[in-house]
Amino acid sequence: MRTGVIGLVLPPTFSFLEMMWRICPALAVGCTVVVLVPPASPTPLLLAQLAGELGQFPGILNVISGPAFLGFVLSSQPGVQKVAFCGAVEEGRALRRLLAGQGPELGLALGAESLLLLTEAADFDSAVEGVVDAAWSDRGGGGLRLLIQESVWDETMRRLQARMGRLRGGRGLDGAVDMGARGTAARDRAQHYVSEAQSQGAQVFQAGTVPSESPFFLPTLISDLPPACPCTQAEVPWPLVVASPFRTAREALALANGTPRGGSASVWSERLGQALELAYGLRMGTVWINAHGLRDPAVPTGGCKESGSSWHGGMDGLYEYLRPSGTPARLPYLSENLNYDTFGLAVPSTLPAGPETGPSPAPPYGLFVGGRFQAPGARSSRPIWDSHGKLHGYVAEGGAKDIRGAVEAAHQAAPGWVGQSPGARAALLWALAAALQRRESTLASRLERHGVELKVAKAEVELSVRRLRAWGARVQAQGCTLQVAELRGPVLRLREPLGVLAVVCPDEWPLLAFVSLLAPALAHGNTVVLVPSGACPIPALEVCQDVASLLPAGLVNVVTGDRDHLTRCLALHQDVQALWYFGSAQGSQFVEWASAGNLKPVWVNRGCPRAWDQEAEGAGPELGLRAARTKALWLPMGD
Amino acid sequence: MSAHQRGTELDLSWISKVQVNQPAVLRRAEQIQARRPVKKEWQAAWLLKAVTFIDLTTLSGDDTSSNVQRLCYKAKYPIREDLLKALNMHGKGITTAAVCVYPARVCDAVRALKAAGCDIPVASVATGFPAGQTHLKTRLEEIRLAVEAGATEIDVVINRTLVLTGQWEGSDFIKTSTGKETVNATFPVAIVMLRAIRDFFWKTGNKIGFKPAGGIRSAKDSLAWLSLIKEELGDEWLKPELFRIGASTLLADIERQIYHHVTGRYAAYHDLSMS
Repeated sequence: MRTGVIGLVLPPTFSFLEMMWRICPALAVGCTVVVLVPPASPTPLLLAQLAGELGQFPGILNVISGPAFLGFVLSSQPGVQKVAFCGAVEEGRALRRLLAGQGPELGLALGAESLLLLTEAADFDSAVEGVVDAAWSDRGGGGLRLLIQESVWDETMRRLQARMGRLRGGRGLDGAVDMGARGTAARDRAQHYVSEAQSQGAQVFQAGTVPSESPFFLPTLISDLPPACPCTQAEVPWPLVVASPFRTAREALALANGTPRGGSASVWSERLGQALELAYGLRMGTVWINAHGLRDPAVPTGGCKESGSSWHGGMDGLYEYLRPSGTPARLPYLSENLNYDTFGLAVPSTLPAGPETGPSPAPPYGLFVGGRFQAPGARSSRPIWDSHGKLHGYVAEGGAKDIRGAVEAAHQAAPGWVGQSPGARAALLWALAAALQRRESTLASRLERHGVELKVAKAEVELSVRRLRAWGARVQAQGCTLQVAELRGPVLRLREPLGVLAVVCPDEWPLLAFVSLLAPALAHGNTVVLVPSGACPIPALEVCQDVASLLPAGLVNVVTGDRDHLTRCLALHQDVQALWYFGSAQGSQFVEWASAGNLKPVWVNRGCPRAWDQEAEGAGPELGLRAARTKALWLPMGD
Repeated sequence: MSAHQRGTELDLSWISKVQVNQPAVLRRAEQIQARRPVKKEWQAAWLLKAVTFIDLTTLSGDDTSSNVQRLCYKAKYPIREDLLKALNMHGKGITTAAVCVYPARVCDAVRALKAAGCDIPVASVATGFPAGQTHLKTRLEEIRLAVEAGATEIDVVINRTLVLTGQWEGSDFIKTSTGKETVNATFPVAIVMLRAIRDFFWKTGNKIGFKPAGGIRSAKDSLAWLSLIKEELGDEWLKPELFRIGASTLLADIERQIYHHVTGRYAAYHDLSMS
């Protein structure tokens, strides 16, 4: 069902078309839209006029032309269900922090830099045209990072420089220009970057005919930028191109994936196998092969890492404006006195309640990290009490170091897991389901000790087994071919794993929720770090005993301990690709705030319990959608 | 024409390393036509420049001395005098680059041009035009006869048999095709050829000329060709020594455009002289 009122905050550099690509899908699914655009260009006025012409349904499209800080005001209005922000990375971060705990969901589409990977088997002249399209035209969004294979470096630079000499800049409405200007702010950014680069020893080449008045900037090519220079990690502004050499395809991927940007890239190679290898290996939202900058409203466009995880276009773009049927409207749950600096920082110490009476419990469970149970770094355990107040067992007290170890183990296991065929993954999930089935009585009795009725406990175990099987069956290399009107050749919508997914499981349904969250994450090729239910983690740890023998090491890691502390560690970890949090409202707010660090997509329950036994909430398509990310792969054909 | 090329050793590895991506070239071809529109007096200037690149051609089976003579006169006076006067370009030597005829008509062309007092070269097609499927002996004899009759440029049809079996020849100019095929001079093909010319120049320092022929009928097209050359190769190639357009009806359309620019009205068929 539709989300409701959407607030769109768009940057002034957007063209009218780009604005419509974001507004129209929202209107199409039935949402109403408020657009905020800074008044630097007359486009918002045109938009407002258009909105006014929607006379029959006044108010479905509203346009505010105002300064950027109004975005914060817009987001905090009651009733706004979602805010979609497009613009600069730092502003997106600040907005994320500000909106933690507020009502609206936040979608970010940040940065405009793209990447062009030129191998030695490419059509160089056409690739140079690709560079022109990407960076030195009005079609591209931002600057370009250019990776050129070393063996063809000189040839390519020569062609680039010759081509730059023929570029013409001028006012946009003069039909014979290649590029216009983007305002003084953009010009200053470009100038600043160039000066920085020069002071670090880079070579700067500028050419082309451009009016010398203020906002116009010459097309610029920067090379020999030392890798350790701060410029290499900063976003390349328009109209700059920063060129770096690479020797092998592996090095190219390492360089290409080695920045926080994850927006769009193109691969230029006439060798199909090599082109596809590179395209699949790039961690980007959109990859073009032997082309750059092709766009279509039917193709999802978005990014990963710090380019934000919101999409526009295609199915994914529509899902941005929809939410599962039956979900209540989002209300603010802000806790005014939440101190972000101290939340979860200190672990409250747990002293033994008194002399232990009764049979000695089993030895404490360790943490399940890297495929085996190991002692926690802090070398201490916490007691778990059952519903009668008796001691059920001890579990490890995990801390920051353990989280670090778990995330590392998950990263190590990731390439192997992604490389597994869908059939192999499905087989492993089914094997785990079978093992769980065999363990049914133990699990049921553990649940019973925590006050769950035997019948309900058995049903919970049954359902968990069924869920595992179901997700196993749904494992397949999920991709589909899209139809694009003006392109000869396929565009593939690939679904790729997020990477390392961290999950903080809820207290309700301790076993079922654990399995319901684990299964889709694994099915989509992610590796997971889980924090099980605080009151009843033992069933989850029992499952780990089967995981140890069946699944590759590091695939599933379970860390017990103080939930707030562990949540803090996970939320602040820069190398966790996504975080799902089902806990308290305060924890949810902290998670939203902390995710601004590496802009990881988060899913929080805002303190409301979820009906895990219902199909819709426990095994619905929302889980599958959130467990993977999309990549659009363009393959223009012709010989 | 430029001084005779020294030529280079045939190095097939140059060719095998070249990659051409067709969709990308098609995209560039579309862009070229839209990217650099020229208007008003600049358009008139570019059109006059285009006239100086035309190889005014007549290659039909019923060519006789009378239509060749008319062609040569048109080559000397491609645009009506009063139109040129209005543009202040009369007396600046605006003629076409050459006249192109069949070998048997070369002596008629030379005679007509001498009578008109014009020194533009006569180009002759030769070597079994247009198919090129005659014996080497007769092909060489054809060229000799044409040169004896006064032709100073020869459009040679390459032996496609040799091409298809990988045996290459060298030249001063490359032409897109004979102009008698179903598909002749298109922008994607031209882009690839021009890039090859540029690469050859970068590698050896030799400048090879380019001639698109066949299918160029409108003035707008000719402007697109001029801007293509300017964009890909630069101003040095915008000279009759390195660039020719093989056309016959193009001149009429250019003249109509110039007429419109000068008078503001559209010309009737009989307002401008025939070629």
